[in-house]
Amino acid sequence: MQNLFAFLRRFRVFIFFATLQFICLLLYIQFVTYPKSVFLSTASGVNGRIQRWEGGLTDHFYLEENNRKLRLENSQLRKRIFSNFYKVERKTIQVKDTTYEQEYSFIPAKIIHASSARRNNYFTINIGALQGIKKNMGVISPNGVVGIVFKVGKHFSLVKSVLTQDINLDVIVGKDGPQGILKWDGFNPRVGFVTGVSSDFPVKKNTKVYTLGASKIFPKGIKIGKIIGKSRLEDQALWKIELLFSEDYRTLQSVYVINSLLLKELQDLQLEIPEEVE
Amino acid sequence: MRAIITYIGLFGLFFCLQVFIFNKLELGFGAQIFLLPLFLMILPFEMNVFALMGLGFGLGISVDALSNTYGLNASALVLFAYLRPIVFESFRPREGYDPLKIPTANDMGWDWFLIVYGILFTSSLLWYFIWEIFRFSEILLVLRNLLTSIIASGIAVSISQFFFFNGRRKQ
Repeated sequence: MQNLFAFLRRFRVFIFFATLQFICLLLYIQFVTYPKSVFLSTASGVNGRIQRWEGGLTDHFYLEENNRKLRLENSQLRKRIFSNFYKVERKTIQVKDTTYEQEYSFIPAKIIHASSARRNNYFTINIGALQGIKKNMGVISPNGVVGIVFKVGKHFSLVKSVLTQDINLDVIVGKDGPQGILKWDGFNPRVGFVTGVSSDFPVKKNTKVYTLGASKIFPKGIKIGKIIGKSRLEDQALWKIELLFSEDYRTLQSVYVINSLLLKELQDLQLEIPEEVE
Repeated sequence: MRAIITYIGLFGLFFCLQVFIFNKLELGFGAQIFLLPLFLMILPFEMNVFALMGLGFGLGISVDALSNTYGLNASALVLFAYLRPIVFESFRPREGYDPLKIPTANDMGWDWFLIVYGILFTSSLLWYFIWEIFRFSEILLVLRNLLTSIIASGIAVSISQFFFFNGRRKQ
């Protein structure tokens, strides 16, 4: 027993050091693996409020740029409003349109905290569970894909952005080209990669890359970026396609969270697939 | 008593600078400015190592909570605090440390400050990036971020030495 105390006394500094390190790394692992806990992240209430207050101060620097983006988007949306169309055929017969059903709705949100220099960059947005945000909803901006909701607090949520290690979005090269997976290597916040495209496919520079929409988190055809280069992966018959993101994540302020209205139906159906078909 | 109030003020100042200014700066090439270790550096020579580690942990966790780094800053600062007495001992002047001085460039000279702070800062930053990136295949990214961040933080820390601590000697 005395030996034990002597040992503890001798290594007390190291033991204290190891204990603190253990707590730190536990917090780290807890954050990465348990998305439900918002403790110690900017999605928690108090921290979120501080960030919102601070964001309110710095927002003014970006007002002009944001206004320009919103005006541009407004003008594009206005083109689609039905009342802005001239009616060619008048008063024929009115049919309730059942051909189309709305599949996605969009909830506007503002980014109150963001980073882009880290290996994994998370954005905090100013809406949470109270506004109907759920984990794994998609997030887009007027210029392209932003990320996926990772943690949901009551008033704030944390978005895992495209600029993270394992974002792995399913994408399509061109409108109907080969499919691949979106990656980010951590070096340049403007440049991402698409892997998993077989090198049999011809891939041209400046081709746009869009979301595939297979997982129903994002609608099909949301812009991601355009191809600026390609190289062959070593030992594999696959392209490593370099793409320039269409959104500059360093200056991003306004985003939309996507509520996929048919997602639950799809997931319920998929649950019914028997694991082993006899 | 006056020293304690000064250090509490510095704690708040470093915390605000890191969270509200340096964490927001977009320098490119993965460069980030880390000012927090400087707070642990300039605490008095005779400071107890347990108190140092405790302070490092507290400061780190408070910054982590506001920047989605969940324990990474705290972990790096605890390592900094753990290594500080060891490195200080290896670079001890022959006559020992003057208890009236504090570990700044102004009191100890630039040579001593740059070497000691450089060693401590580089080791804690390397620790930080290894945990953050956590993949051997991305070692190049670790090295690039380490190098650019050392340069950016080095400039910031050097400037701070002129700003905050220059008045002391004149008194």
